[in-house]
Amino acid sequence: MGRKAQKNDSLPGSLDMLILRTLSLRNLHGYGIVQFIQQSSGNELLVEEGSLYPALQRLELNGWIDGVWGVTSNNRRARIYKITAAGRKQLAVETRKYAKLTLAIARVMEAE
Amino acid sequence: MLIRRLKYWMESARRSETLREEMELHLAEKAAELEADGMAPERARDEARRRFGNVGLKHEESREIWITRFWSELRQDVRYGYRTMIANKAFSALAVLSLALGIGANTAVYSFIESILLRSLPVADPESLVVLNWHSPPPFNADKQWVHVMHRVQGLAWPGGKGTMVSGMFPYGAFETLREENEENPVFSTLFGYFDGLKHNLAIRGQATRASVEYVTGGYFRGLGVLPAAGRLIDSEDDRPGAAPVAVISFATSQSRFGGASNAIGKSILVDNVPFTVIGVAPPQFFGVDPAASPDLYLPVHTNLLVDGPSAASMYHDGNYYWLEMMGRLRPGVSMARAQAVLAPRFHQWVATTATTSGELAKLPALKLNPGAAGLGSLRRRYSKPLFVLLIMVGLILALACANIANLLLARAAARRREMAVRLSLGAGRFRVVRQLLTESVMLASLGGALGVLFAIWGMRSLTLLLSHGQPNFTLHAELNWNVLGVTAALSVVCGLLFGLVPAIQSTRPDVMPALKNGREGGPRRRSQHVLVVAQIAISFLLLVGAGLFVRTLNKLDSINLGYAREHILLFSLNARQAGHHAPEITTFYTDLLKRFESIPGVSSATVSQSSIIHANRAGETYRGPIKIGTATVLGAGVMVVGPHFLTTMQIPLIAGRGIDGRDQPGSTPVAVISERMARTYFGNENPVGRRITFVDDKRDLQIVGVSANLRYGGLKHESSMTVFVAFSQFTPDGATYALRTAGDPLRYVRSVHEIVRKADSRIPVTDVVTQAAEIDRTISQELAFAKLSTGFALLALLIACVGLYGTMSYSVARQVREIGIRMALGAQRGAVVWMVLRRVLLLAAAGLAIGVPAALIASRLVKSFLFETQPNDPGTLALACIVLLSAAILAGYAPARRASRIDPVAALRQE
Repeated sequence: MGRKAQKNDSLPGSLDMLILRTLSLRNLHGYGIVQFIQQSSGNELLVEEGSLYPALQRLELNGWIDGVWGVTSNNRRARIYKITAAGRKQLAVETRKYAKLTLAIARVMEAE
Repeated sequence: MLIRRLKYWMESARRSETLREEMELHLAEKAAELEADGMAPERARDEARRRFGNVGLKHEESREIWITRFWSELRQDVRYGYRTMIANKAFSALAVLSLALGIGANTAVYSFIESILLRSLPVADPESLVVLNWHSPPPFNADKQWVHVMHRVQGLAWPGGKGTMVSGMFPYGAFETLREENEENPVFSTLFGYFDGLKHNLAIRGQATRASVEYVTGGYFRGLGVLPAAGRLIDSEDDRPGAAPVAVISFATSQSRFGGASNAIGKSILVDNVPFTVIGVAPPQFFGVDPAASPDLYLPVHTNLLVDGPSAASMYHDGNYYWLEMMGRLRPGVSMARAQAVLAPRFHQWVATTATTSGELAKLPALKLNPGAAGLGSLRRRYSKPLFVLLIMVGLILALACANIANLLLARAAARRREMAVRLSLGAGRFRVVRQLLTESVMLASLGGALGVLFAIWGMRSLTLLLSHGQPNFTLHAELNWNVLGVTAALSVVCGLLFGLVPAIQSTRPDVMPALKNGREGGPRRRSQHVLVVAQIAISFLLLVGAGLFVRTLNKLDSINLGYAREHILLFSLNARQAGHHAPEITTFYTDLLKRFESIPGVSSATVSQSSIIHANRAGETYRGPIKIGTATVLGAGVMVVGPHFLTTMQIPLIAGRGIDGRDQPGSTPVAVISERMARTYFGNENPVGRRITFVDDKRDLQIVGVSANLRYGGLKHESSMTVFVAFSQFTPDGATYALRTAGDPLRYVRSVHEIVRKADSRIPVTDVVTQAAEIDRTISQELAFAKLSTGFALLALLIACVGLYGTMSYSVARQVREIGIRMALGAQRGAVVWMVLRRVLLLAAAGLAIGVPAALIASRLVKSFLFETQPNDPGTLALACIVLLSAAILAGYAPARRASRIDPVAALRQE
């Protein structure tokens, strides 16, 4: 009753962006996405695994990604996610926003 | 977005499964990875799960993304509610039925209110239309003499508040002045006028009927923004003296008389024997500007010079003759207040020039603009208060029904206490349980609402019948539309919440432990039940008093001594002048017809007058000027033009002298018969026969030849007024109303009447065919409708309240079985047990009356204007309502009381 999905990201909404970015490079299933983010960030970013699935549902409901049944690299049946055209647009938007935000933060940090 | 969400929701079961599988795979892969790093398989699985978090919760959270939890829970609740409803068929049926009656009645009455108060004219942009009215101080001076610039009026004035007079009628000069002002200082895009031309003879290809005529100025159709269904509409060019006479006909007329709109264009028609050319047909939904009217024919204002004769010319020059109504369409961006500010001073300036005395100057009318989107307010003025009272009555019925269901739910909540207690103790949130109970009650209410729509359709039909009471031109039509249905739906939900909330909150009170232990007493629940029963008794008392007052009013009206015969009289009207007959020939025409009617077999006597007695004071042109007897001015006398045998046909006793008869011819001495009250007032104990009475404006001296008994002239509620009968042959009116005294059903003679008139002149339609009894009843149709409806409502209310009382008492007896058993075992007599229960019933009834009596005293003042010779606090009615209510309460309480007295003490004590 009344429990809300929790987001433990240091930057709210960045998980969505990371998933979109990952899927813009290759089609992956849920666990694959977690692994990819972890590896490509040099193990700096640990995705809270539980939060992944609500995020995937949300992205799919918005029509940014599309999941179909397929087979993983080690031959198991899994839902493989693809980014859609709308998803790419959204990724561009979020990337721009993120760039602005980090730039702003950097300016503050460098201010004397 | 919404559609996708809906699709997700429909596929939710499958998707939920998919999600579970995805998560399982995730865990398996994580475990495999950990295992590959050297962890034991068992530990690896646990670790994977630990890192993932609560799988069930995450699953739920993910699902919530596409189905919010609300909907899934609602589905559960509805399914559960459905099962509960099926399990309690009798209860559900009773609840749904009583709600359906309540909601149906409310919907029906509301649909009427909507059609009168809330609907706009079917024209372009109705919001920018304004109606021009004026307000003036009371038109009488201290001596009760008329002191007002309005010397003549054709149309209505009605009371504003505090004795002021309000009207929408203006002299033609005012229209011209305001139109000029509007040209200099434009606030309206169009200012147009119109007036009700009443009924005229409409002959199309030799076939004559009566048609209602609306006279309109050239700007009328343009100002309303109406487009023709065929041809063109009346324009400024058509509305000047001497223009070719043209007419626009209603769509219905074009269908019934020409077989289609386009067929009518260019055809010639005769209006009162004057030829007109049809130039256009109004659109189907158009009914003019007054929802109470539906003209068949629209004619340019100035053509009344042709139709009504040259005498009508004075209307245009007489600044004290009020007859034209006006509307304007505001220019874009101009507010009504601004238009008022521009026009009112100009009107004031103009109207001041029409005052003939200083008294009139002190009581000048002031222009007032009103919103015109809904058209003229005649229907609103006539029906909004009766409908408001009806709405209160049906609202009370609905409140009763809700209270009743709440009561039954409270009783049932007792049976479900264990169920609730179990659910609460298993950890269901209280809010969640309340919500589930509320879902159940809203479901009941929605079913009631759906069924109520059917009742409403039926109710609207019967209400139309009741209110119209056979009036052929009844124009108040209600219909079910989305607005009405929306209100019904909202009402259902509100009802469901209303009657469900208290039981739901009570049955989920936190003190669940006693319930689990099967404790029996529920103090607060019993208290709420009693409060509900008391409220029900108070409400039904209100409705009983209402019914009593209306029935009493009807009885008073029925027992009125009219002073003339009611039964076995057939009335019908003709207008020979409108078919082309003129004086002096018209008098002979009417008299010849009368002779033929007299000779119909079965007709014992026949007479003619300018109108029926009931409508006498509303009929057109009779003598209205001052009347003098010697030097005394006669005040408040009605003049009625009657033919021979009028008094005998109407069975009005003759007290002295003779009645009007065949000796009174056009050339002989003008004569009058006066009523007894008039004779007493002006002649005291002297015999008035042979004395004279003067019609000042006509410069005629009449010889009084007889005195008749008093009669109620012009309607049931009017006092028996002073009446002057004058001879039909000496004061021949345009139209005539014949009255035949018949053997048996008067309506059997209608065919012969039609036959005779057709032979005499086929151009004259016979109209207003009605029996005298029906015509009298029509004037009290509202009282009849109220008496019938309120009696029905009161009985329904009493029934519902009794069911509530019965239910409560049965329940309380059932709970007290043990106590009663003990009392009886200790020697209580059966009579004492019956009395114990009945005393409680009477206490509840007394409490209900303690609230109901003062409430009735206050509320009945609201209906004061609907009552006739009955005081709103009529003690007889109040006493009767009390007695009926107490008897009903005792009746309802007797069955449980008897059951209590039959309790077997041994069985009762053994029960636990």
